[in-house]
Amino acid sequence: MSPVLNQLVSQAHADGEYQPLIDLIPYASIIGVECQRYGEEIVFRLPANPDNIGNPILPALHGGVIASFMELTAVFQLMLQLNTPVLPKIVDFSVDYMRAGLDKDTFATCEVQRQGRRVSNCSVIAWQDRKRQPIASARAHFLMD
Amino acid sequence: MTLTDMQLQGRCQRFLEAQPHMRKLGLKVVSACPGVVVIELPVQAELFSCDVNTYLHGGVLTTMVDHASSAATLCAVEDYELCPTLDLRIDHMSRPAQDKPLFVEAECYRVTRKVLFTRATVYQLTTEQPIAYAISTFMRPDPGATDPAFKAIIEGDD
Repeated sequence: MSPVLNQLVSQAHADGEYQPLIDLIPYASIIGVECQRYGEEIVFRLPANPDNIGNPILPALHGGVIASFMELTAVFQLMLQLNTPVLPKIVDFSVDYMRAGLDKDTFATCEVQRQGRRVSNCSVIAWQDRKRQPIASARAHFLMD
Repeated sequence: MTLTDMQLQGRCQRFLEAQPHMRKLGLKVVSACPGVVVIELPVQAELFSCDVNTYLHGGVLTTMVDHASSAATLCAVEDYELCPTLDLRIDHMSRPAQDKPLFVEAECYRVTRKVLFTRATVYQLTTEQPIAYAISTFMRPDPGATDPAFKAIIEGDD
């Protein structure tokens, strides 16, 4: 357990300002991840950003950026819902792309399927226009110790 | 494959430069030959955090692998085709050292009429000591469906 992490998570819950926590992971700031809490649900947002483009013709988001955004969604969801926050360590990550991610805002939510003492199993869905038409779905395992 | 390694490397280089996010990360093409490409992520201070050890979040590796695998498909077909990623799975085996560059060797090991299959190893010293391993599949577009202007950019004048 890291005292910095603990303090950032408590602070984020207290004032609803999650950016300092997100900025802990430099790649999250580079691609521009944001998050908003609605009651118990946390929705992550990746605003349209010209630096995140992978296909300049469509134009479309880079597949790796979409995958990373989804992995970060799972990392932050886990961090925020733990009583004693730890930085989850990725073990494996698998993503299925269903539609091209266009050059506009992307959203994601993570459902923790199982939260074990040592391992967490998460599934993440990412969408743009509506959640029922996801652009990608992913699953991941994280080590929690 | 009638293309030389130099021509393939040129295609990979132009493919990388055409993608704003790849320029942002500062990736480099190390080498290319039929079906295989090696991509480098130089040591980057901006990916390092002093507060907690979050150096090279897994996502950076995923982005590199996605790009390298895509470049490997480009080295496996004669005419450039814009192939979207269908799926990608990455297993993380060890944590990268922050003071050494990171490499991905990606190979397109099977080409079929509709789908391309790739595997990739992320490493710092040798491929025998992998940081991560990934497999992915790419969908081939219908003949002629790739934007001619983009095809011309990638193929250059080789």
